[in-house]
Amino acid sequence: MIIKIFLVFLKIGFLGFGGGYAMLSLIYHEASKFGMTMAQFADMNALDGIIPGLIAINSATYVGQMYGGFWAALVATVAVSVPSMIFVPLYVKYEAKINKNYYLNQILSCIKAASVGLIFAVAFLLILSIGLNVENIFNWQHLSINYTSLGIIVLVIFIYLRYEINPIILILASGLLGGLVYLI
Amino acid sequence: MNKNMTLFKVYLLAGTFTFSGGMAMLPVIERELCDKLNLITKKDLYEYTTLSQTFPGVIALTNACFVGKKVNGTVGMIAAGLGAVLPAYILMSIATVLYQLVPQDGIILSILGAIRATSAAFLITAAYSIARYNLNNVVNIGIALVCFILTIFNLVSAPMLIVLAIVFGIILTYGRQVKK
Repeated sequence: MIIKIFLVFLKIGFLGFGGGYAMLSLIYHEASKFGMTMAQFADMNALDGIIPGLIAINSATYVGQMYGGFWAALVATVAVSVPSMIFVPLYVKYEAKINKNYYLNQILSCIKAASVGLIFAVAFLLILSIGLNVENIFNWQHLSINYTSLGIIVLVIFIYLRYEINPIILILASGLLGGLVYLI
Repeated sequence: MNKNMTLFKVYLLAGTFTFSGGMAMLPVIERELCDKLNLITKKDLYEYTTLSQTFPGVIALTNACFVGKKVNGTVGMIAAGLGAVLPAYILMSIATVLYQLVPQDGIILSILGAIRATSAAFLITAAYSIARYNLNNVVNIGIALVCFILTIFNLVSAPMLIVLAIVFGIILTYGRQVKK
């Protein structure tokens, strides 16, 4: 299990272009093999927002801890950090030979476009799961709309884009709202 | 004070007091390493920040490694990298253990449900803000759309799509080069 987690996060690290959020789609894909549900993925994303530090490290630690315990968390964190530790010395050594030119930027631009599609896809699947109670698009006949969740999703997107309120406050406020909804 | 210790402490501090992602660390790093300690110039710091984004892996960690390497070689790189990673690792370990202890029923499930909805909203806004800067031509919009559709219908895996995007990017740039 620990070796498997190490290899999976090594793969995520080496294919993870474009930062923490771009990596999340890869992390969801790989962690679902360990049994991660959409709800647990959503909770991870919320914890990423509350807990300080780099999103990719937070996520690797969470997945490791959830599906393999203490050592798996450590191993996942180390594995996802490996690419940085390898590429930085290599670049510094061979800087002159590496073309940081037009062509590299072109390729990167394609990878980032793919990442954008992947994040939207994960977000879409998450909304499907949370707002419509469907685990994948093929089960759409069984959907049952969760109006509270859909309402919160729309409201938070609006508030976040319009007023740039701190994510921690939004998470705490929505938690409070969830509690109130239950009590009423 | 020893340079390695300084790097470790500055990145530990920056990692502990910044939320939602690595870019938020930069102002702290700039203030401590550039303004107060003069260990690195602002020009270098921002050049590394741009450069880090072209490498696979954790961007803020790559940036920390570049700065550490520049200031004090390989040992400096490890010191800065360790400082950048440790807060996220330790705090998230504790948070996950606590999270596993929480029973998921009754009022707690209701609270979590609302938080999960907020979490979905954050993912949409993150995707939107990355899209705004990257989907600036027809080819990129096409790639994003194809990846989106293939993923929601579960036809091609996410890692495979990244590899295919790399291959497509190489073919595309090679094609354009030949045309010239």
